Amino acid sequence: MEVEKGKTFKYLREKREVSQEAKDNLKRFNQIKKTILDLLKESDLTIEQLTQKLNMPKNEVVFYLMSLVKFGYVQTGAIDEMDEYFSYKLKK
Amino acid sequence: MQGQIEEASYDVLVIGGGIAGGEAALNLANNGFKVLIIEKDLSIGGKMILLSKVFPTLDCSACITTPKVSEISRHPAITIFTGSEVQKIIKKDYNSFEVEVLKNPRYVIEEECTGCQLCEQACPVIVKDEYQFNLVGRKAAFIPFTIASPKVAAIDIENCTLCGACEKACPPKCIDFTQEKEEYRIKIKSIIIATGFKLFDPLMMPRYGFGLYKNIITSMQMERQLAPTRPFNTILRPGDGKVPCKVAYVLCTGSRDATIGNPICSQICCMYSIKQAQLLMGALPMADVTIYYLNIRSFGKGFEEFYEQAKGMGVNFVKGKIGKISELENGNLMLRYEDINENKVKEAEHDIVVLSVGVIANQDTAALFPDEQLKLDSFNFINQPDPLATPARTSIDGVFVAGTASGPMDIPDSILSAGSASSEAMSYLIQKK
Ligand SMILES: Cc1cc2nc3c(=O)[nH]c(=O)nc-3n(C[C@H](O)[C@H](O)[C@H](O)COP(=O)(O)OP(=O)(O)OC[C@H]3O[C@@H](n4cnc5c(N)ncnc54)[C@H](O)[C@@H]3O)c2cc1C
Ligand code: SF4
Ligand code: SF4
Repeated sequence: MEVEKGKTFKYLREKREVSQEAKDNLKRFNQIKKTILDLLKESDLTIEQLTQKLNMPKNEVVFYLMSLVKFGYVQTGAIDEMDEYFSYKLKK
Repeated sequence: MQGQIEEASYDVLVIGGGIAGGEAALNLANNGFKVLIIEKDLSIGGKMILLSKVFPTLDCSACITTPKVSEISRHPAITIFTGSEVQKIIKKDYNSFEVEVLKNPRYVIEEECTGCQLCEQACPVIVKDEYQFNLVGRKAAFIPFTIASPKVAAIDIENCTLCGACEKACPPKCIDFTQEKEEYRIKIKSIIIATGFKLFDPLMMPRYGFGLYKNIITSMQMERQLAPTRPFNTILRPGDGKVPCKVAYVLCTGSRDATIGNPICSQICCMYSIKQAQLLMGALPMADVTIYYLNIRSFGKGFEEFYEQAKGMGVNFVKGKIGKISELENGNLMLRYEDINENKVKEAEHDIVVLSVGVIANQDTAALFPDEQLKLDSFNFINQPDPLATPARTSIDGVFVAGTASGPMDIPDSILSAGSASSEAMSYLIQKK
């Protein structure tokens, strides 16, 4: 079968079912990403503040927030007076 | 699986493309032998390519590894299969083996990928990044890490949702979801096993609380935090993003401990912990670093001076055996330990605990020879029947071992061991001509 270059994902889609876990993981990440970015639109926030608003374990907030930093959505802001916690802001 | 089996032949098969396998391959190739490296990961370089700096010189690990892996990759006499596994090795006659290799699909045409990372930007999926030891996420379309060799994207098909965004974004249209597993049958004259070591899994020691308490990390996670291509913008506690101030190292985690089945010393943990302590004091000048140890084994060239240097910088060394680690409400960790010098049980509070995990044998290759016995030693590393006269020889004629596949060792010793494996393989090949 001749498969068009640049559209080969369609070929595999017919042969292989995407797992429910992969679909759920994407859905969850999209929700978390949207909430974090919406919250940061309003003001810069620390991980503690984001945790309270997201109602999620702190270590998960660190994981998702740092991933958003890595992929260029968020940037690190100022550190608090005790030099302990950074705040985070949207990357302009 | 594609129907046809590709056939090929090489002088030497090197299993594992870490620093030992890479060095052995280069030595052989520079002496005119045709070498095939089978690496199961997506990049060659092994653990060394992921390190921050190296003891005792504090040279940048990437600066040493990058030119080396590029020399290996560009060498005309070396062929590299990444994402591949050896399935079976049959000894055919007195000087040849037949090797079955399975190459897993990368879903990217390696020769055409420019490493531009546009697929990565376009991919909507985030999963744990194994190359950052799960501290941060990566995409399902991803380049393993900045200095990966080859610097070519791969698709993590288990987590891919087949949305097609990466394919649309890829300028040379080199993402190819039609790729399948490929089988190779290869004729080889000699083999070097350089499959390295595994890291001790601290989940096997529940009293330390790893996994449960998020501010307890492994030394490999700290190594990544100290590397130039680190997961965070600075050193952070993964549990809550705090910049740590009081850091504890627990040496011999999973080493010299018969209760978890590994009674031997891992040989590298003392020194890499002392290295990390020095780097931490540079990165976080206000930090207090305490190393809890049983004995400091600083036996190599320049190691004792390196240990003294750490003490001079203010690293606190406590001869103590950790009984239990528990978590406080603020995420800090309470270490209950026996102070061996004072013969007292004490407690100390720290912001973050680094478990200096030990070296465990990688037993992948033991089952590859159905007709021969590749003997292991009592700790499951590849056995060296005559370590004094021919340190690289194994129980199978024509099969040699390099680096940490034969036991715990640091980078200089892995390179030395690769040197002896390549020269023993060369003299074997010349004799069997
Ligand atoms: C936290 C930490 C810090 C360290 N710091 C230092 C330091 O500062 N200085 C120093 O000298 N040493 C240091 N070391 C030790 C150093 O990492 C090792 O000495 C070195 O990596 C050993 O190289 P190797 O090639 O033998 O093994 P590895 O690095 O383990 O490489 C083995 C390779 O084989 C591949 N492989 C495994 N199984 C298979 C298979 N079945 N088929 C195909 N391929 C396979 C692996 O993917 C890998 O690429 C450190 C180690 C750790 C854990
Ligand atoms: S097809 Fe898969 S790898 Fe490509 S962008 Fe979509 S989810 Fe990511
Ligand atoms: S697969 Fe395409 S988009 Fe991704 S890095 Fe390679 S060339 Fe760039």
